[in-house]
Amino acid sequence: MRPYFETMDGFGKALKPGRVKRAAASADDLRAVEAGIVEAVTTVEEAGFPTEKINKRGWMTVYQRLEYLVDVGTWHPLHTLYNPLENEEGTTNVVDGLGQIEGRWAVVIGFDNKVMAGAWLPGQSENILRVTDLARRLNIPLVWLVNCSGAKLPEQEKFYADRRGAGTPFFRHAELEQAGIPVLAGIYGTNPAGGGYQSISPTILLAHKDANMAVGGVGIVSGMAPKGGFDAAMVEELIAKTREFTARPPGDVATHHDTTGFFTRVYEEETGVLDGLKEYMRAMPAYGPEFFQAAEPKAPAFPVEDLYHLLPANQKEVYDFDEVLARLVDGSERLEFRPAYGPEVFTGVCKIDGRLVGCIGNRQGYLGKGYPEYADYPGMGGKLYRQGLIKLNEFVTLCGRDRLPIVWFQDTSGIDVGELAEKAEVLGLGQALIYSIQQTDVPMMLVVLRKGTAAAHYVMGGPTANRHNAFTLGTPATEIEVMHGETAAVATYARRAAKEHTAGRPLDPVIDKMNELVDRYQETSRPVYCARHGFVDEIVKLPDLRRYLQAFTGAAYQNPTSICPRHHMLLPRVIRG
Amino acid sequence: MAEDVVAPLAGKVLSVAVGVGDRVEEDDEVLVLEAMKMETVVYAPCDGEVTVIKVKEGDQVEEDDPLATIA
Repeated sequence: MRPYFETMDGFGKALKPGRVKRAAASADDLRAVEAGIVEAVTTVEEAGFPTEKINKRGWMTVYQRLEYLVDVGTWHPLHTLYNPLENEEGTTNVVDGLGQIEGRWAVVIGFDNKVMAGAWLPGQSENILRVTDLARRLNIPLVWLVNCSGAKLPEQEKFYADRRGAGTPFFRHAELEQAGIPVLAGIYGTNPAGGGYQSISPTILLAHKDANMAVGGVGIVSGMAPKGGFDAAMVEELIAKTREFTARPPGDVATHHDTTGFFTRVYEEETGVLDGLKEYMRAMPAYGPEFFQAAEPKAPAFPVEDLYHLLPANQKEVYDFDEVLARLVDGSERLEFRPAYGPEVFTGVCKIDGRLVGCIGNRQGYLGKGYPEYADYPGMGGKLYRQGLIKLNEFVTLCGRDRLPIVWFQDTSGIDVGELAEKAEVLGLGQALIYSIQQTDVPMMLVVLRKGTAAAHYVMGGPTANRHNAFTLGTPATEIEVMHGETAAVATYARRAAKEHTAGRPLDPVIDKMNELVDRYQETSRPVYCARHGFVDEIVKLPDLRRYLQAFTGAAYQNPTSICPRHHMLLPRVIRG
Repeated sequence: MAEDVVAPLAGKVLSVAVGVGDRVEEDDEVLVLEAMKMETVVYAPCDGEVTVIKVKEGDQVEEDDPLATIA
């Protein structure tokens, strides 16, 4: 299949000075948003005790452990700003991402031991579920840095119970293990109750000499029987008991290495635990690059920094998606699927580090006379019409058949609306795309380049509508909402405005409400909000997009559960004819 | 040789970035059209001098209408 993949069709062109000049202000706007995100990330990283204080106690911080553990230059953080319940700590208290350890991709997650000794906080279990889902989707190991003091007790009602509450990750670990995906744990510090199950549920437990894990910690063991409340005498008794209580915490290495043998190994040094994890990672199943590289890896033919001048910050401004894609894929080469059909979407095969991926993206701007063929109005890119939806269904199905991971790029205002669109079956075709995705069983990632709006955000590989999405990235231009704020204000208040007008009452209060709604949409759809509330798994700087594509593709091809020999692939033949 | 800048689609002229007599390079912004809630930038098709501008802000234009000439 070398003739198909070694050198595919080149596309894209170099940026011209006029384009750079025009986009200068937009590029500044995008960089300013990125600077705001860096600031927000720094706040999360500095949560809790300062690093020096943790180091003085003889411990490394979770960030220092990650730095030691993960191969240089391979860390791709995810969920950094995720804090859906807006905890005062500013974090869900776990740090996670994709990284290579000893040359093998893993999903890595650790408790932030600077914040309440790594406590369970609201929103954390949702964060962990995203991480276990990611390991499952990519079929790669999950590596834990456990250092968990258990539940933050004053807020337990926000996370302890419920169908997706704090106990669910333990079941998810069991589920990963059943699927043949190992969960490694490096265990530090005191891990009572929830921390105990965080420690025991992985596959291999490597402990630091001062670590312990237990069903319950000292706080519970030394507690008193409930008496219906507290008074001063009881609290004094409690103080006396607490001072007298000198028992060692239950479940230390003497118990769980020497007696139960739950800890596979115990290490004197903190770094020893990490070296142990590296040793186990070297023993993980992983295909070499020669298995799935269809061609030698190549950098894109154009600089990735061009993206600042190609993706306009102004949501209304039209741009050329193909030029964006040309900055992200190997050699700026592709095999385009059905270019003359459904012009509002690009679908085609590209390479990332020599590995084949299906790429899909919304094209922007006027789609030419007579399109969509069923309507008397002009078609604009960003919208999905009948042909585009049919093409997406076909392409996704063929990618599934050929076992090609898919990268979606969204900048969509929605699926076409109106009676003509309904007659053209767009409602059914959108749902058909959800079905097509569900039957592929290939990993997918999504980049919301700019707008992710209406049902199109769901059907185009959105995490809300399928189990195939490994993770979703946002950019400094990302805006995710059910519809634009002004459209929402019209939908909500137009009738009321008409009523007030008929009654001869002033319109100012309605106008104020409409503008308030627009402002609220603006505030709740922009990048930091999207990241904080999990609409995306990370906001990344534009030049980092390719790095994340490389991580996704490398991880997806590390140990795939199902493969299609290149010479059995149908999609390249359908494209070439 | 003179080259016309033509409207790629029907819409309203949102802004005009050049004046008669201005020198432009290929791919410089000439004007912006608004249609279907989107803004489409129209770029210079070649290097040269703007000799004619046929539209102003707020004008409605049809697809393929000549908007300006560069010579």
